[in-house]
Amino acid sequence: MSVRTITVKEIISRVRQVFPDAPEKYIMSLINDALVELGMYNSKVSTAKLSTTANQMYYSLKDAAKDSSNNILEVNKVFKVYFMDDNGDYMQIPRLVDTNVILTDATSESNLNIPDSN
Amino acid sequence: MASNIQYPENSCVWFIEGDNFVLLTNVNSSGNLNTTERKNWKAIQEAVTDGILIKYYSEPEAVSSINDVPDIDNSLHLALVDYVKKCLYMDKAGTALDPNQSMVSSNASMMHRQKWDEAVKRFGMKKRDKVGGARVMNVPDFR
Repeated sequence: MSVRTITVKEIISRVRQVFPDAPEKYIMSLINDALVELGMYNSKVSTAKLSTTANQMYYSLKDAAKDSSNNILEVNKVFKVYFMDDNGDYMQIPRLVDTNVILTDATSESNLNIPDSN
Repeated sequence: MASNIQYPENSCVWFIEGDNFVLLTNVNSSGNLNTTERKNWKAIQEAVTDGILIKYYSEPEAVSSINDVPDIDNSLHLALVDYVKKCLYMDKAGTALDPNQSMVSSNASMMHRQKWDEAVKRFGMKKRDKVGGARVMNVPDFR
């Protein structure tokens, strides 16, 4: 049984039924805009591994952030986190909802945004 | 390399602050509980290769060639056609010299926008959700 999918070429040919002169590059950039918008609606689930650094509290999840295999993460929303225990197994760890109640030593922040100097 | 933390479910917590993932632990680099009550939760004290595994919603891969298949569920592929047409009709409405043609293009753009919104925002999760069966049990009250 084959899965019915459509390629960019087919999308372009459908669009060109009504816009015969639409440039291919422009249609592809619109498709990429649509894919970015789709990413906001939980359309794709991914997993990634990150390595910890001693005394580092903050780990970047920006658009260009990479995992431990140097792949770009492209994180929209994190929903589960696991940590490796002393047997090398990954155990799920809880998310802190109220981040104001704990006694935290925050001196080891290394990945904070620093305001511009002027 | 495994970590020194025996029970991460009790000793590690995480949260998100802005664009950063924050990991806190209440154990030292040997995996023993921090003895100071104040400053109990700190950044992890050891470097662990591949120590964190995260599951997350991510952005689909961008297309770069005409032979690429969009990196989304195939039930949403046709919605991409609506998105592209929505934009092209709006471009046409903005550049048309004839007001009637501009109006018609604007209406066509709105129609494709509605179809896009319906496919992605209204029914998007339902279309690609792999969970079958009842979603909510509504138990009748026989009292």
